[in-house]
Amino acid sequence: MVFIFGTPFPESQLVSKALRSFYGLGPQACTKLMARFHIHDTARVGALAEKQINNLAGELSEMTLENDARRQLQDNIKRLRDMGTYRGRRHAMGLPVRGQRTRTQIMNARKFNRVERRG
Amino acid sequence: MSRSICSRCLSRSQFTLETSASSPLPLNTAQRAAFSTTSALAANPPKKKGPVTAKPASRQGKTLRLNKNVRESTGKPPAQGERKAFRKKIVLSNTNALEVQGLQDLNLENSSAEKLAHLEGQVLALTDAQVSALRTLDVFKPTQAWNLFRKPATVIRKETVEIAKALESAQGGEDANAKQVIKRILFGEKGSGKTVLQLQAMALALNKGWVVLHFPNGQDLTNNQTSYHPDESGKLYVQPEYTANLLKTIASANQKVLSGMQLSMKHTLPFPVQENISLSRFAEMGANNAENAHAVYIALMKELTAPSKPTTGKGQQRPPLFLGFDAIDHVMRLSKYLNSEAGLVHAHDLALVNDFTRYMTGEHALPNGGMILAAVSESNRAASETLDYLLDTKYGAKTNWAEPRFNPHTGWKAEPMPAWSPYAPFDERVGKALEKMDVQKVEGLSKAEAKGLMEYYALSGVLRGAVTERLVGEKWSLSGGGIIGELEKAAVKTRI
Repeated sequence: MVFIFGTPFPESQLVSKALRSFYGLGPQACTKLMARFHIHDTARVGALAEKQINNLAGELSEMTLENDARRQLQDNIKRLRDMGTYRGRRHAMGLPVRGQRTRTQIMNARKFNRVERRG
Repeated sequence: MSRSICSRCLSRSQFTLETSASSPLPLNTAQRAAFSTTSALAANPPKKKGPVTAKPASRQGKTLRLNKNVRESTGKPPAQGERKAFRKKIVLSNTNALEVQGLQDLNLENSSAEKLAHLEGQVLALTDAQVSALRTLDVFKPTQAWNLFRKPATVIRKETVEIAKALESAQGGEDANAKQVIKRILFGEKGSGKTVLQLQAMALALNKGWVVLHFPNGQDLTNNQTSYHPDESGKLYVQPEYTANLLKTIASANQKVLSGMQLSMKHTLPFPVQENISLSRFAEMGANNAENAHAVYIALMKELTAPSKPTTGKGQQRPPLFLGFDAIDHVMRLSKYLNSEAGLVHAHDLALVNDFTRYMTGEHALPNGGMILAAVSESNRAASETLDYLLDTKYGAKTNWAEPRFNPHTGWKAEPMPAWSPYAPFDERVGKALEKMDVQKVEGLSKAEAKGLMEYYALSGVLRGAVTERLVGEKWSLSGGGIIGELEKAAVKTRI
C-alpha cells in the first residue's frame, strides 16, 4: 500500500486511476498533474519515487477536493436558491434545470437535483 | 403552586409548554415532545407492512433463455501479461516442417557481396549465433511466417547484395582509411521486406564482427508507456527503463565483441567504475540499474565511436557500428510524452532519439565506419507529413521523375513530383534529421527471386505441388508484383 495524500492505494494500481479516485479530480487535472511530475501514462503507484509522491501530495493539498469540492457544489446551488433564481428553484424542486422537457425522462434530475446535492 | 417539572424524573412536563392553554387545537403527542429539537418530519415514515409476497421467480424477463446460452467459465482467467506474451510470441522453428537439404547458411563465408551476388534468388538460413543475437535485438516480428519452417531463413535479393556491398564499403575493405558511413532509410509498400532487409544487414554486420545497435520499434519510444524525466539541462527527456533494456540487448547481442573491448576514457558517471572494465560488463552495469542507464549509454557510445588506434594495444581497436531503427516514422513527429506544462514533447527531444538523429545528421561522427539503416513501418504508420514529403522528393531526385515507372496498381506511368501542402506546417527538425540520409525504396521481388523463394517453400513441405513458371507467375502477380509479404500470404499462409 502506498499512501498518496493520506489515502492508501495498492501498488499495482495505475497512478491515473488513483488520482482520479479523489472527488474533484478528473481526467484533465490528472493529465496536468502527471505531466507536471513526469509520470508516464501506464505508471503504477508502486513505481512512484518518494519525491514524486510528496510532490503529488503537495499539489493535491492545494486543490479543492473531496468534501471541500462537494461543499463548493452545494454552496453554488444554495446561492442560486437564496437569490431566488429559476435554476435554484428547479434544483430545490428536483426538476430539470436547463429547460428539458418534464413530461418524461427526468429520472436523473429527480435523483440529483436538490439543494443538498451529495456531489 | 404547582411546578412545571415533575419532581420525580425532572423530564416530563406536567403542563404543555409550547402551546398556550387557550389554544383551541387539540394536541397530539408528537408535538408535545418538548426536549427534542429534531423535526418530526425528518424521520422516515414507518414502513407499511404489506402482505407477505412470494419470492420472485428465479428467471425474470420475457426472453427465452436456454441452458446452452449460458457461458460457462472454463478454468482460471489468463494471468497478467499472458495474453500479450502469447500475441508477441516469436516461434522460429517448426519441427513438422521438412528439413531442406542443401540449405546454405548466411555465414561469414557467404557474406561477401561477391558471393551473395552468385546466391541471389536463393534462400540462406541464419546461423544459431545470428538467430540468438537477432532475437535479443528483437528484429523478428510475430507477423512474419518464421513459425512455418524448420530454421529461420531469408531469401537473398538484389537489395541484400546491395546492402552487402554497402557494408563492405563502410568497412573500407583493405584500406583502413577509406571507412565510410552509409546512411539510409528504407521505405516501400507494406510487406515489401524492409524489416527483413534490416535483419539481413544486421546478420551480415554480426558476421563481420561489427557492433550492432537496434531500436526495434519507434512507437515504443514515443507512446508514453515507459518512465521519463528531464535530464540535467532540462531540454531533453531521458527514458531510464527503455535505456536499461536497450543496454541489455546491446550487451547480450554483442557479447563477443564488447567483452574484448575495454573502457578507455574518463567519463563522468554517477557511480564508481573499475578502470579497465570490459564494455560488455559496463553495459550490463547500466542495464542492471535504470537510474544510471542513460549515463552508461552516453559513455558507451563515446567509447564505441572513438577513433581506433591500432598501435596503442588492447582495447583500442574498435569495429564499425551498425545503427538500426525500425518504424522511424513514429519518431518523426510529436511524441505522446508531456512536458511539465502538459504540452506534447517532440520526439527529437527524447534523449535516445536525439542521440540517434545526431548520428543521422553527422553531428556525431562514426570514425570507424558504420551503417545507419532505418526503416519506415507501413503496417502501423505514424502520420508524419514531413517524412512522407521528404521520402518522396528524395526518391524522386534520385530517380528520374519524368520517366514512366511501373506501378502494379496503375501500370506504367510517370508520377508528378510531390508538392508540399501549403496548409501543413513543415517540421524543420525532421527536415534537418533527414538531410544527409539516402532513401531506398524496397520494391517487389523479381520473378527469379520469387521462384527461389517458392522452391524453398515447396522443399519445406509448406507449398504443395510443383513450382512451375506458371504458378510463380500467378503468385507473383497476386502479390502485387512480388511484394514478399503478400507472396508469403498467397503461397504459404492462406489455407484453403
